Amino acid sequence: MKIGVFICHCGENIGRTVDCPRVSKACQWLPGVEVSLDYKYMCSDPGQNMIKDEIRKKKLDAIVVGSCSPHMHEKTFRKAAVDAGINPFLVEIANLREHCSWVHDDIDAATDKAIDLVRMAVEKVKRNQPLTTIEVPVTKRTLVIGGGIAGIQAALDVANAGYEVVLVEKEPSIGGHMSQLSETFPTLDCSQCILTPRMVEVYQHPKIKLMTYSEVEKVEGFIGNFTVTIRKKARHIDESKCTGCGLCTTKCPVKKKAFNSFEENLAYRPAVYVPFPQAVPNIPVIDETVCTYYKTGKCQMCVKVCGREAISFDQQDTLVTEEIGAIIVATGYKLYNIEKKPEGSMIKGYGEYGYGKYKDVVDGLQFERIASASGPTSGEFKRPSDGKEPKKIVFIQCVGSRDDSKGFSYCSKICCMYTAKHAMLYKHKVHDGEAYVFYMDIRSGGKMYEEFVRRAIEEDGVKYIRGRVSKITEKNGKYIVKGEDTLASMPIEIDADMVVLATAMIAQTEASELAQTIGIPYDKYGFYNEAHPKLRPIESTTGGVFLAGACQSPKDIPESVAMASAAAAKAMVLFGSDKLEREPVVAKVNELFCAGCFLCKKVCPYGAVEVKEMKDRNGVVYKEIAYVNEGLCQGCGTCTASCPSKSIELAGFNNEEVFAQIAAL
Amino acid sequence: MSDKNWEPKIVAFVCNWCTYTGADLAGTSRLKYPTNVKLIRVMCSGGIDPVFILKAFERGADGILVSGCHPNDCHYNAGNFHARRRWTFFDELLEYLGVEKGRLQFSWVSASEGKKFVDVVSKVVNDVKEMGPFKSYDELNSEFMTKFPDMPEIDKNMIIKEEEAV
Amino acid sequence: MEELKKLAKELLENKTVAAVIGYQQVDDKRTKPIIVTTPEDASKLVFNEYCLNNLAVYLTKARIKNLAKQNGTTLKLGIVAKPCDIHAIVALIQESQLKREDVYIIGMNCHGVVKDYGMDFSGETLATKCTPCDSHKPLYSDSNLGEVKDTPKVSDEVLEKIQAVEKMSHKERFEYFKKEFDKCIKCYACRAACPLCYCQRCITDKTVPRWVESSPHSRGNFSWNVVRAFHLSGRCIGCGECERACPMDIPLSLLNRRMTETAKQAFAYVSGRSLDTPTLVGSYDVKDSDELFM
Repeated sequence: MKIGVFICHCGENIGRTVDCPRVSKACQWLPGVEVSLDYKYMCSDPGQNMIKDEIRKKKLDAIVVGSCSPHMHEKTFRKAAVDAGINPFLVEIANLREHCSWVHDDIDAATDKAIDLVRMAVEKVKRNQPLTTIEVPVTKRTLVIGGGIAGIQAALDVANAGYEVVLVEKEPSIGGHMSQLSETFPTLDCSQCILTPRMVEVYQHPKIKLMTYSEVEKVEGFIGNFTVTIRKKARHIDESKCTGCGLCTTKCPVKKKAFNSFEENLAYRPAVYVPFPQAVPNIPVIDETVCTYYKTGKCQMCVKVCGREAISFDQQDTLVTEEIGAIIVATGYKLYNIEKKPEGSMIKGYGEYGYGKYKDVVDGLQFERIASASGPTSGEFKRPSDGKEPKKIVFIQCVGSRDDSKGFSYCSKICCMYTAKHAMLYKHKVHDGEAYVFYMDIRSGGKMYEEFVRRAIEEDGVKYIRGRVSKITEKNGKYIVKGEDTLASMPIEIDADMVVLATAMIAQTEASELAQTIGIPYDKYGFYNEAHPKLRPIESTTGGVFLAGACQSPKDIPESVAMASAAAAKAMVLFGSDKLEREPVVAKVNELFCAGCFLCKKVCPYGAVEVKEMKDRNGVVYKEIAYVNEGLCQGCGTCTASCPSKSIELAGFNNEEVFAQIAAL
Repeated sequence: MSDKNWEPKIVAFVCNWCTYTGADLAGTSRLKYPTNVKLIRVMCSGGIDPVFILKAFERGADGILVSGCHPNDCHYNAGNFHARRRWTFFDELLEYLGVEKGRLQFSWVSASEGKKFVDVVSKVVNDVKEMGPFKSYDELNSEFMTKFPDMPEIDKNMIIKEEEAV
Repeated sequence: MEELKKLAKELLENKTVAAVIGYQQVDDKRTKPIIVTTPEDASKLVFNEYCLNNLAVYLTKARIKNLAKQNGTTLKLGIVAKPCDIHAIVALIQESQLKREDVYIIGMNCHGVVKDYGMDFSGETLATKCTPCDSHKPLYSDSNLGEVKDTPKVSDEVLEKIQAVEKMSHKERFEYFKKEFDKCIKCYACRAACPLCYCQRCITDKTVPRWVESSPHSRGNFSWNVVRAFHLSGRCIGCGECERACPMDIPLSLLNRRMTETAKQAFAYVSGRSLDTPTLVGSYDVKDSDELFM
């Protein structure tokens, strides 16, 4: 076997601490090495041409490039090798930059290490097998999980490009948190007014299959070829018959048993309900937990009034399976509820702010509903306890955010803006009212954002106080807010009529369960991890699964929408070709020796190991052994390490190659 | 080799997605660590066989690091969970057989933890330096008339001669 | 005893089983395995304190599996099994080497066996595997025979030895095991006797690459014994056959038992006890201890 070794100086990057000429000269003496050269920039055109020329001239079988990390230029050098006629998997990279020159100072020691690294790569490449890439078909359908603004945007973009979309939403209506907002910053345009046309568009789009009140139960398969099982929860309303007249919801005698979660528990809803008037689809849901019929077997008022006989009490959950090529996860966020301390959580709660105890201490979304023209107060500012107009409101920012000791370390990013908006909305309606904002820092990066905050302060006279609030107590219908003005270095006390807490944006309750169902990693807060924080912010590390919106980290609406469109574009990139090429790093079973203990099957995270029956010439099964489905295998090699008899090997990283590297240490 | 200028030989088996990338980040951040450590890249910490460890000890490694993605952050979802069980057994077994804890160490280093990689690697090097060469395991080789053939020593004089010739 | 003979005869006569794997008396303090294929031979079967072998090992052998295949149909294989042997059968079923319906377990109640042939059964001579044993009645069986008697109470010799070893320094421990392993002649009797070493080709027989050196020198012996113990970690059911089979008297149970204790302490798992739980090796729990990892 003839091996070529090419050492890159990477300008000064490697050359400064690794004596590249010495490395290349030393490597000439390695067994099997035909030629060893060094060059200033191996990844440049002349560098690549040099490799190609040497391959042709010396009839090389394999090459080792001592350069930067394989994550950087492995593809480049593989391509060069292919151009010159060798298999791309007969190229090995010795990482002389990130793992050697950049992390060491001593030139002698670094050069010795570099030689060792190249020697290990040479020994590995000797054992490398030529491999061919695997082609798998692509199902050109997208699953979008979550019907908030991000999910809606992603679904519309993909559908408008002509590909089918399945949009799954766990609530009875799409719209998400954006449908709850009264106005949006920094333009103060009405949230519903810009959102509802999009919701209707989704509903009417011929390419979008909308599944509300549904949840993803199981995801099997791999990029381009997922099989997704979706649980369609029983609405107890026949969707094909219901016209959405809403008569049942008005006649339902259950009035004060269930809180309206769309109104953030500031109002009640009947047992049969549509979450909000503009809901899409406009089909009610019967809440089994409060409906009188499910308790006593009587009532059936809705059945009596429904002219379409659409009520179906015995409707059951149904499971639907869909063939999917790409998944866009847009499950959004929820607000940190400061009154509760979820078990085992890192949150300690903010009992001193009295949320849940004091009726007039509300969170951001509750205030949105109070401010909203369609909300429980019809847009008039009335405080929840007695319905009086609050004359003095205190807004507290960073409740749960940027708080290592009691909440979360991260910044929720949108609270500075929406608090300014809240204060502004309040001042616009209650001209003689006073608005105080306790803040840590004002973070208003974004187009027109800083101007917006300035407007709140300068034009609307919102009083910003830099400092934290230590305690809120109730006294004669007033809330005494005790805090500190850190700029004036003095304690401050405000007797407010109402307090609004800008609580942290946190991951959805079931975020980690869903991540495990789909098979994507998540961080300690439950937000989903992107494949690369800078260069691959849309992809998850699982192929074919993309992220959109606040499920990845706190985001405002424009950011969520941008990310959703990007995720849609990523899905469409996938659909751009009929076949998908993937690296042939897959496991293969040695059928002669497999004893069929199926430990590999148990440990495989992808269910890629199947049972294969071995038959003799009479067709009688004489043993059952493992078989790897190449399409499903992602090449982690957990099976190879588990196999007691070493009858399963990972192509491209087989044990012989690893042993050779160890031997060359 | 005299103990005075003895330098330990450390091998790190690392997964492609987290620790290898974390080590890349250590490089990009120009953090420094001892040259004793050489990395062997595998796809997943779940794919590291305990026999690799024995092989490395046989070949004169004084210390070994096994490192992968943090739990829940595995590129392959569960490879590191299987690895965790496997290493719990193997670590106990080796310790029971008389291999000091510090010879074989484990860590989770994510792609964004360049600093942690440096810390972990430096700790392993320091621990092993304190313990000295792994003589016990080396003695297992003592029966051999011929040891493993060393890879050809690079004769620096030869290079110089060649340079002169050119 | 008579009921065992009667049952085996019936099973063979009505073709429930193709063969019964059991014990045959050699002399009054010695038995040997026998595979009975005819109803007439069923009278040779015995069960007593001298039935040392774990017969489950035969269930994985191709030659014996083939006995079950008769005229195109597959009959069951009958096996006379002590409660501890049944743990091995359970493990084999869990590891897909056997189907529950392919085996007819004649489960014997057991109060312990002797250390070795030729000894009188008493507390002194109780096999070391029997001292910590809590399975005196079969967990799974198709027929349950034999009388229930008390097991002699003696101290747990193996555990005491393990504790003694653990008290040594690392260096002493390494020396101790090196000395023990140096005795190994690589006859692989331990492997042959182990019901859970069913691989068609053992890792040590794999040559490209060479995983475990097969020649009996210190290094090869060390890695063989480490690999053997590791492959049985969390799987070993503690029948002790490997140690009994070892002609060089290497204390293999010191390793196996130690790893069994790890499985118990770290994962609350005992191998071969339940057909319904997933095997320890091959499953994971997100909540497994993370202590080992920096």
